[in-house]
Amino acid sequence: MPLLDVSPVDRLYETLPNLDDISIPARAPQPDGETEDTQAIAAAFGDRILAAGLQHNLPFVHVAPADLRDLVTWLRDGELAYTTLIDVTSVDLSELPNPDPDVRFQTVYLLRSLSRHKALFIVCPLPGGDDAEAPSLAGQFPGTIWPEREVMDLMGIRFADHPDPRRILMPAAWPNHPLRKDVPLGGEDVPFSLTWDHPEFDALGDQILDPESLPPDLPPGMNRQNMILNMGPHHPSTHGVLRLVVELDGERVVNVDPDLGYLHSGFEKTGEHRRYKDFVYYTDRMDYLSAMNNNLGYVLAVEGMLDLEIPARAQAIRVIMSEMQRIASHLFWLSTHVLDISGNGMSLLMYATRERERILDLFEMVCGARLTTSYIRIGGVWKDLPEAFLGALSEFCDLFPGRIDEYRDLVKDSPIWRTRLEGVGMVSREDALAMGLTGPMLRGSGVDWDLRRDQPYSGYEQYEFDVPTSDRGDGFGRYEIRMEEMRQSIRIIRQALDRLPDGLYRSDDRKVNPPPRTELDVSMESLIHHFKLFTEGFKVPPGMYYHGIEASKGELGFFIYSDGSGKPYRLHVRGPSFNNLYAISGMSRGLMLSDIITNIGSIDIVLGEVDR
Amino acid sequence: MGLESNLKEGSLVAARLEDLVNWARRNSTWPLLFGLACCAMEMIAAGTARHDIARYGSELFRATPRQADLIIVSGRVSNKMAPVIRRLHDQMLEPKWVIAMGICASAGGPFNNYAIVQGVDKIIPVDVYVPGCPPRPEALLYGMELLRQKQTGEHFSKYVFTPEQPGAPAEAEQAMAGLAPRIG
Repeated sequence: MPLLDVSPVDRLYETLPNLDDISIPARAPQPDGETEDTQAIAAAFGDRILAAGLQHNLPFVHVAPADLRDLVTWLRDGELAYTTLIDVTSVDLSELPNPDPDVRFQTVYLLRSLSRHKALFIVCPLPGGDDAEAPSLAGQFPGTIWPEREVMDLMGIRFADHPDPRRILMPAAWPNHPLRKDVPLGGEDVPFSLTWDHPEFDALGDQILDPESLPPDLPPGMNRQNMILNMGPHHPSTHGVLRLVVELDGERVVNVDPDLGYLHSGFEKTGEHRRYKDFVYYTDRMDYLSAMNNNLGYVLAVEGMLDLEIPARAQAIRVIMSEMQRIASHLFWLSTHVLDISGNGMSLLMYATRERERILDLFEMVCGARLTTSYIRIGGVWKDLPEAFLGALSEFCDLFPGRIDEYRDLVKDSPIWRTRLEGVGMVSREDALAMGLTGPMLRGSGVDWDLRRDQPYSGYEQYEFDVPTSDRGDGFGRYEIRMEEMRQSIRIIRQALDRLPDGLYRSDDRKVNPPPRTELDVSMESLIHHFKLFTEGFKVPPGMYYHGIEASKGELGFFIYSDGSGKPYRLHVRGPSFNNLYAISGMSRGLMLSDIITNIGSIDIVLGEVDR
Repeated sequence: MGLESNLKEGSLVAARLEDLVNWARRNSTWPLLFGLACCAMEMIAAGTARHDIARYGSELFRATPRQADLIIVSGRVSNKMAPVIRRLHDQMLEPKWVIAMGICASAGGPFNNYAIVQGVDKIIPVDVYVPGCPPRPEALLYGMELLRQKQTGEHFSKYVFTPEQPGAPAEAEQAMAGLAPRIG
């Protein structure tokens, strides 16, 4: 039996017509402006920089692979102080018009200067055609080890001097690199009714690998003399289908090797086959505990490319939803974390989900769904708030602070809670920056950084709120931060409710949003807009764009490479859980086996976002 | 009250053993503590106070497949996870039941791509499909109600291999069916 069949399936709307008449350069468009930083880089590196400047208002530097390490080291240690590497991704350029046969791939790096509130993208075109090699930045930023493994796995780019060149998401025996453009999306046609005689019946199930499941080989760096323990992917405390291979000396943890990909769903590849507006529904299912935040991150990225202006009311509604979702996500974190740690803390699970159900009721009121909301759409939100919503929400705002105090009183002085959290899962400030951690993980190590305050989006600059930080660097500090974040979210929601502006709840740009039904009967132009929107979708100007938001777990970013058509040419998601989970090995070394469970809970992962 | 309040001390009740066992099984079906994706959140919600799956005797989520009767496949099944689910199902003791919760587990859902198995029924047999993306906790509870209806009519012969003896078992069964009151 063949191992795998990913033959292409005929589908409608696979590609949009008329792509050829848009003149798209094979590489990214040339810069159309400059900033002080790009000027400084160009002055320092001269001819070694291929191009530097602004695209879509984001600073980019194009550099050859031989100079990449020098540039990154200079940026990190020099006065520009780009101390954190947020993301690594890659683009397969081979299906753009006029491709360069020698340069098939390029890698893209996102650096961030927390002290100067700046971001910088480095684009590195890789010569070598199909067999490209990029320099690994693991020596400069340890946080790139996993993102580089992901690029290696999904795109097939080798990284020179990479400390751990293994596949990370796909099974070890997988025959291809799915994000390459010559690899089809895969999948099957699923008939809705089948009889045993149906000829297609035999073909079903071809995609499934034989149940020879777990690879017998030992992860590198582990010693067989110690006890090797397998945790997961089916384990009650790993918060999903995470597999950890743990090396133990007695009950002390010597080494932890996470094995990801048990929930890899091909979001990025699927996104490249969906029109822009149709991917909103997929984002719900990525971090399924904070769907609203996922919606918001994606639509902000697309709107940034379209230069779309969002009405003030829509922005305020988005902020309200995003903060409610943060509370719901943190409540779920609290209840499962207490359950993991105490072993019998079912009562807090019941209490906290009681409040979470109230938030889900409010979501249901605005969009009809509890978890997968898809409420925040490109151009605004789906529908205006119902009348009963505002009263119900302010009632919740009055009720909730007392409830948080109650939860705090339940756990704060519990000896079990304190012993198992204090001093457990230490992350130093330097490590947090080098590993590219974000969200409560970063703030728990004493770094005062929150995208809502420091690079405001969606009107966050209008609201007053505090960003809690803690210098403790342990699980207890992160617990305190998340509790305080819930209080601050209530504060933001109250302010947004008090001055909720009137007006449109979604943009009236007819290129992006369909006209109301009544207009279709009287206006030919509206009819054409409607037809174009639902048959082709809207087109997005070519170029690269990235937008990051402060989701409940950290920086959630969407990277889009557009070729000017109605679908993203390349869509990449920077999931906070993925980068934060990298810290688990360092946090758990030297602790007891049971502390691994504490650390998983303390990082607050959602596997849908880790594996994407 | 029920049957027991009408019985005098020392009375006997004649019932089919199958009915008695099915009655016990359907009122204490323990699910496997196993979540995959979004649907798992709704499965947990079904276990908490508002929806309270304990009303149906299924609140005891067991972490090991050897103590579980029911596996709720709550989410999308990736190619990497498929062999693991198959192994978990193999490790469960008979009798065992499977609920495919949500459209991903039922037929792949929106993820018709290289990574996702188009329905968990390609690797393990499914008793009840619960539609939705994700299904609400109420929908899961209704799915479990359908499963209980199915459990009511199950026969031992499904699990026990018996050499065929034409005639005799069917006659005995008919005779018993006429005698026994149904418990449930």
